[in-house]
Amino acid sequence: MAQFFNKSANNIARISILAGVVLVATAGFSFTQLARSSYLTGRYMEKQQPVQFSHKHHVGDDGIDCRYCHSTVETTASAGMPPTQTCMNCHSQIWADSPYLEPVKASFRENKPILWERVHDLPEYTYFNHSIHVAKGVGCSTCHGQIDDMPAVYQENTLQMEWCLACHRAPEEFIRPKSEIYNMKWKNSDLDSKERLELKASLKIRSKEMMTSCSTCHR
Amino acid sequence: MLKNSLPGVVRIDDKGKSMNRAICLAFLFVTSVLLSACGIRSDMQDQPRYKAYKKSDFFSDGRSSRDFVAGTVPRGQLKENKAFYTGKIDNPDVNAQPVTTTDASGNTLVTSFPNAIDEFPVPVTKELIDRGQDRYNIYCIVCHGPVGNGDGMIVRRGFSKPPTYHDERLRNAPVGHFFDVISNGWGKMNSYAYVVQPADRWAIVAYIRALQVSQNPDEVLKANSKAEPGSVPPKSGETTHGGKP
Repeated sequence: MAQFFNKSANNIARISILAGVVLVATAGFSFTQLARSSYLTGRYMEKQQPVQFSHKHHVGDDGIDCRYCHSTVETTASAGMPPTQTCMNCHSQIWADSPYLEPVKASFRENKPILWERVHDLPEYTYFNHSIHVAKGVGCSTCHGQIDDMPAVYQENTLQMEWCLACHRAPEEFIRPKSEIYNMKWKNSDLDSKERLELKASLKIRSKEMMTSCSTCHR
Repeated sequence: MLKNSLPGVVRIDDKGKSMNRAICLAFLFVTSVLLSACGIRSDMQDQPRYKAYKKSDFFSDGRSSRDFVAGTVPRGQLKENKAFYTGKIDNPDVNAQPVTTTDASGNTLVTSFPNAIDEFPVPVTKELIDRGQDRYNIYCIVCHGPVGNGDGMIVRRGFSKPPTYHDERLRNAPVGHFFDVISNGWGKMNSYAYVVQPADRWAIVAYIRALQVSQNPDEVLKANSKAEPGSVPPKSGETTHGGKP
């Protein structure tokens, strides 16, 4: 009987073992990359909103403070979405006839909320509270990016656990003085490392063990 | 010869089995990776409970955040301190109407202030004024401008120009009037009661007084030589600069 395998089968066997290993490794690597991709995290994805509201104009050009609209950011878990009255404080006169404002005026007339599309959607097994973050020196732009330069708001960061933990492990690398929380022009380089540690102490930020304990965020 | 080669045949079968198993495992692995990547199950991410601003399919207006039932008084918020919560005297004369005039830009200006209290119902401290500055620079600065001239960014964009704080009329207006305007609005200005709580409104009024002193220190101090409680020393750094573009 002739040989069932010819000589090249040896090489094929070796190469297929190698290919198998490479395949598994590639699959694993692709998984980690896919899980961090904006396709799954929603990062950098602009959303169509019912009103063509531009943060770039209202924050960047007009210099309106974040809290004029997001008024509960210092006191509650949610930063707060403005009631339609907040829009009408100015738009009762400014651009009052613009068709772009029709959804706002309709909401005001009919007393129905504007159905904004949520941009930052944390999973509901995480406990997140805006007020403690702004009270402990985390600025708006640290997590939300340059909102004053976003015509349509997108998610600047992955919002994944590794991203949260990067700051919870070493908050001193990200915090700023409380007077600069709402300053969109703040740069991380505005403080040196010594000042950061002093700031961390003066803000009474808890230990790394406490900050990275499971129940700090999952409760 | 054939018999001797049988072990080899068996080996070939073994190899085929393990190959099948490897293919099966690889298939399972890839499938599970794809499934988990797709996030087929999201029960934990989206739990059946309401968080702030979540849409409700139950209530007809779609809001999960509900208003209080009419007449509800939260514990400790009976608002018995009339001066603190309304800026008005205890038994206001409901028939007393404020005297008003109209200025060149169509603003209705009030020139008499019946029922408004003229003393702060809270102690005026530096902390109060600092808090007022903080709140003023969020909610008031957009129209009234950094020093209260009425040249805020929204006015520059075309909104009606509010009157300046720095004329005789508003320098002499009682503090209760400013509180009332923040609480109930005036003219083109909407009420800000929904974002500025009463304690913060008094802080803002205190800061407006500080601004008035800063712009016209001589007049205010002369007029207040009898030590009016609302008067505060000018704060350093609060001068006219920064008001104009």
